[in-house]
Amino acid sequence: MTAAPVAAPAAEVFRPADVAEAVRFLADHPGAVPIAGGTDVMIDRRLGRLSTGWLVDISHLDTGGIVRDGDDLTIGATTTIRSIETSRELADTAPALVEAARVLGSVQIRNMATLGGNLCHATPSAEMPPPLLVFGSSAALAGPSGERSIDLADLATGPGTTSLAPGEMLVSVTAAVPDGIGSCYIRQTIRWAMDLAGAGVAASVETDGDTVTALRVGLGAVSPIPMLVPGLDDIAVGHVLDPDVLAEAAARARDACSPISDARGTADYRRHVVAVLTARAIRIAAARARGTWPIDRLAPPNGFDPEVLPGRENGPVR
Amino acid sequence: MAVTQATSDAHSVVGKRIPKLDAPDKVTGATVYADDMRIPGLLTAAIKRSPHAHARIVSIDVSKAEALPGVHAVIHAGNVTQRSFGYGHDNEPLKSRKVRCIGDEVAAVAAVDAEIAQQALDLIDVDYDLLPEVDDPHAAMLPGAPVIHEELDIEGNVSMRWDFETGDLAAAERDSAVIVEGTYSSPQAAPAPIETHVVIADFDPTGHLTVISPVHMVFMYRKELADCLGLDWQRITIKQPPVGGSFGGKIDIDTHDFITVLLAKAAQRPVKLALTREEEFIGARTRQPIHFKLRTGADADGNITFRDAEVVSDNGAYNAWGSHAMLVAMNTVTSLYQVPASRVRSAVVYTNKNYGGSVRGFGNPQATFAVEQQTEELADALGIDPIAFRLQNANTADSTTTQGLEITTCGLTECLEAVRDRSGWVERRGTQREKFRGLGAATYIHVGGGARIYGSDGCGAMIKIDDSGQVALISGSSELGQGSETVLAMIVAEEIGVPVDVVTVTNSDTDVKPWDVGVHASRTTFVAGNAARLAARGAKAKLLEAAAETLGIAAAELDIEDGMILRNGDRDTAVPYAKAIRRRLLREQSSIIMSSAFYDPPTEKQDEGFIGNISAAYGFGAHVAEVEVDPETGMIRVVGLWAAHDVGRAINPMSCEGQIEGGAVMGIGLALTEELPVQDGRFLAPNLHDYGMPTAADPPRIDVTLVETIDPEGPYGAKGIGEGGIILPPAAIANAVADAIGIRPREYPMRPWKVVDWIQRNETSTVVDQRTGEASA
Amino acid sequence: MKLSLTINGDPYRENVESTQTLLGVLRDDIGLTGTKWGCLTGDCGSCTVLVDGRTVVSCLQLAAQVDGSTIITVEGLAGRGRTMSDLQDAFVRHGAAQCGFCTPGMLVAAEQLIRDGIEADEKAIREGLSGNLCRCTGYNKIIDAVVEIAATRG
Repeated sequence: MTAAPVAAPAAEVFRPADVAEAVRFLADHPGAVPIAGGTDVMIDRRLGRLSTGWLVDISHLDTGGIVRDGDDLTIGATTTIRSIETSRELADTAPALVEAARVLGSVQIRNMATLGGNLCHATPSAEMPPPLLVFGSSAALAGPSGERSIDLADLATGPGTTSLAPGEMLVSVTAAVPDGIGSCYIRQTIRWAMDLAGAGVAASVETDGDTVTALRVGLGAVSPIPMLVPGLDDIAVGHVLDPDVLAEAAARARDACSPISDARGTADYRRHVVAVLTARAIRIAAARARGTWPIDRLAPPNGFDPEVLPGRENGPVR
Repeated sequence: MAVTQATSDAHSVVGKRIPKLDAPDKVTGATVYADDMRIPGLLTAAIKRSPHAHARIVSIDVSKAEALPGVHAVIHAGNVTQRSFGYGHDNEPLKSRKVRCIGDEVAAVAAVDAEIAQQALDLIDVDYDLLPEVDDPHAAMLPGAPVIHEELDIEGNVSMRWDFETGDLAAAERDSAVIVEGTYSSPQAAPAPIETHVVIADFDPTGHLTVISPVHMVFMYRKELADCLGLDWQRITIKQPPVGGSFGGKIDIDTHDFITVLLAKAAQRPVKLALTREEEFIGARTRQPIHFKLRTGADADGNITFRDAEVVSDNGAYNAWGSHAMLVAMNTVTSLYQVPASRVRSAVVYTNKNYGGSVRGFGNPQATFAVEQQTEELADALGIDPIAFRLQNANTADSTTTQGLEITTCGLTECLEAVRDRSGWVERRGTQREKFRGLGAATYIHVGGGARIYGSDGCGAMIKIDDSGQVALISGSSELGQGSETVLAMIVAEEIGVPVDVVTVTNSDTDVKPWDVGVHASRTTFVAGNAARLAARGAKAKLLEAAAETLGIAAAELDIEDGMILRNGDRDTAVPYAKAIRRRLLREQSSIIMSSAFYDPPTEKQDEGFIGNISAAYGFGAHVAEVEVDPETGMIRVVGLWAAHDVGRAINPMSCEGQIEGGAVMGIGLALTEELPVQDGRFLAPNLHDYGMPTAADPPRIDVTLVETIDPEGPYGAKGIGEGGIILPPAAIANAVADAIGIRPREYPMRPWKVVDWIQRNETSTVVDQRTGEASA
Repeated sequence: MKLSLTINGDPYRENVESTQTLLGVLRDDIGLTGTKWGCLTGDCGSCTVLVDGRTVVSCLQLAAQVDGSTIITVEGLAGRGRTMSDLQDAFVRHGAAQCGFCTPGMLVAAEQLIRDGIEADEKAIREGLSGNLCRCTGYNKIIDAVVEIAATRG
């Protein structure tokens, strides 16, 4: 008698034994939908956005967990967001991933939701893509005709759509996390927890002394698909992160995005806030790269931390 | 930490932190709410709602839905008997000619399960002829605006106009040293209890109707049900299950109640309707947006001289009782602080939106947001500390406001002093701008001893004491989770002189319970409490009479303490009270101990000029909020909230705190995050991830101080406190934002993009200093 | 499909539709109505239960995926029978339940936070419980109860 007046149509669940069986089944059953944590799929079903004959349960498949090999950090698609949030390894090497994971939904949602689901549902405001993009990640896909690897930036093609071929599924994501890279993910929301981003910004910074050797900024919720801000190397690499560079990076992020107006903010505001968060994320990432950010201190959700980063202006990183 | 400034009278039960009687069931999952009930043959209902805000219904074709196996009833305006309902009879359960807002009900089905019910809805064809719509009340009043109710004799979509004026406004204005003016707006928000509406209706074979509904005006509900559907109201029983929160959302009869009964009648089977969360936002009642254009003046000595308000309430498509929230807004404009001259010109205006209901606070958060910002704007313009300014103008005990509110007890001064001292106001306000932090205050006046808006404001109570000594209270009132059953049990136990755990409370069924207006207007502890106390007094007298007779001692020499009957206070010869009852009962020609009472507070309805003492006591309170504003993203965090409330007497301090803390967090939600926006004919946030209800991580710990003024009319001195907590956060937080970053919030919720916009436009106060003739910001 | 679950210590074998949610199985098939629903989109947390020692929102949990699992609901927090755990007792004493509708999910979520070793720290507990909406209490008294038990079990 649980009232669910919006009832999903009849469907069946298939539980493959391994990835190979999963992709064979997906290939043989066009329209079948993989389900792992189900935190997006089950909502889509209840709200009538998804009517499918088959759900393919991949939650139990072993996709390798979290493994670091040299500069390569590989995370299996069925790894839960909670595992990413609580990973000691990631907190040390890629805090942006932890900062994105810990603000995704609630503990319950993070216990269920997986990295693969977050990436493949292709929600524009998804938390995990921006930090993965700033680590230059690739995605390993398995399909009926074997495996292939693509640039993660090419996975989502629009809101709710991906470049996965029929029968293909995401198996893992590999991020490049060289020693000394600093990273950060922050976002703007309406509530302080349990909220979707109005704008999400990740940054990664590599430095040699005071000089920037690499800078990447990834944006979520402000364009149809998560995106990297282009052209940052031109302005930052070989330079000190002074206010002018930060302001220019913020301006490029603002100009690169294409937000809409909805319940989470106006388009003009979101462009404004992208610039603000870009400067903050870069400063925090740079402070981490230089070792001046307190170890074990996660950034405040929106990066506003008068204690660590005093002042309103985007001053030079100390 | 909560502090009780208690007068330490000797009570054995009243004043104790007694856990709610129903808490053990609730924490073990044993409480059976409406959707938990298992009823044989129960059908599931679903409602076909309009996707359009304004349209003529050309035709409804239900033939395909009726043919679907498993469907037992399909109803629409063309195949049921229904009359108009609502204040002014402007609404119908199922719309017959027009829909006037998104979510309007056009048809409904009852089927064997939810899946088939949904399929049946999809098979109903409704042909609409779209009409121009208007979603802004100011636009709705303009000539040429779409007419929402052609059938009513009104102009400019104005449902009601309520105007009030007192004192010499022109002279007061001349005498003012400073005048502040501004506009202030509030959003459409929702009560959003965690349990959605669940209604079950069943006609027995003889036609007797039983409705299980979380409504908390059960006797009025029964009458309106009968009137609208042409039923015999002597053959209707309303049962109230445990309620999973209401906050006013479940107070009155609503369209879905009628529809469930109509379906049960058509199907001749029990029918349950459970609103989805989306329907709860779209198809149940909301808090109405109210727009204020307000001017307030003060003289050079810091005395408020006048208030002048033009108020427009965005009523939505129909008049629920929420249309009357304007009357509470009027009270605040005229009667918060001592205001010698005031004017309120108000209009309640129809728009093509979800319509306003009776949500907790009932117009007062909206009004206080305007009035209390101007209080601080004026004080700052005069160079007076805003709390000192408030203390100077505060209402006092034994005074009567210009609207005839007779204030008997008033703890406003004590409340202000408490929040001032506990928040560190004097040292900290205006000193934290470099940290983007600020403090703001606000106070309220609200009914605290009932509210006479109907002929009676009464409540009945009955008590029986049986051979075991169990004391059973049957109250007209309703428990919604607020803890009223526990408070009533405490009052009865105290009055009779027995331990609280021998008292049971029954209040769920119109067949059993005595008449009551209902749970609203923070009246239950006061009105139902007084009724229970009177009934307990009667029961005690009968008990002592019985004891006197069986013991052969004059009743005047006897009293009851902690369940023992004492003669002249002598414990050595004490007799357990239950023994006295048994001696009375277990004999020939015996009689039972039973007592009833009806309490109707000594108040009056407002006259045509809006003057009258509508409540037997008035509640007061003060909040100080501290915020941290991120000036670049516009995100606001409330880092402290100090609340002091005049509760008359805290019958149960833990329950008082619970009401205040819960109300305050709801108020923080109103102030910062909660809104039901509609864009391009679509609700943007009809769910709990977009709507913005505060999570545990959003509010700070609420610091509560209970101020006791021991009201002479209240039970043991208590006054109502159910709504007080929610009234102040929007105003106090707005004032704190002004202290933190110097801009003046003109509307709430203060969502981040609005804050950034205010900063960019440098939105500040508009104050005219009449001494210099300068307008300044 | 046939589903085997251990719920609150008891074995259940249920024949359910394969796309049924765990919430539906608990409430409709088994009749354990202590677990509530408030949104069916995972946003309110009223339907929180434990699956093999981790909290899930049972409204989004496909039952087929947890076949063979051990489930604990509010009815099983104190072991078996109508007794109360220390945490349930703390909720009663602190006045942490008003309408009580969020309470089952809140208790299950809080119980697991404590079992996972959360510190008796208000901020951490507030963030840990941010997936469980309460509209009545303003959270003060819930947090008080959880902080107390996190400290005493420490």
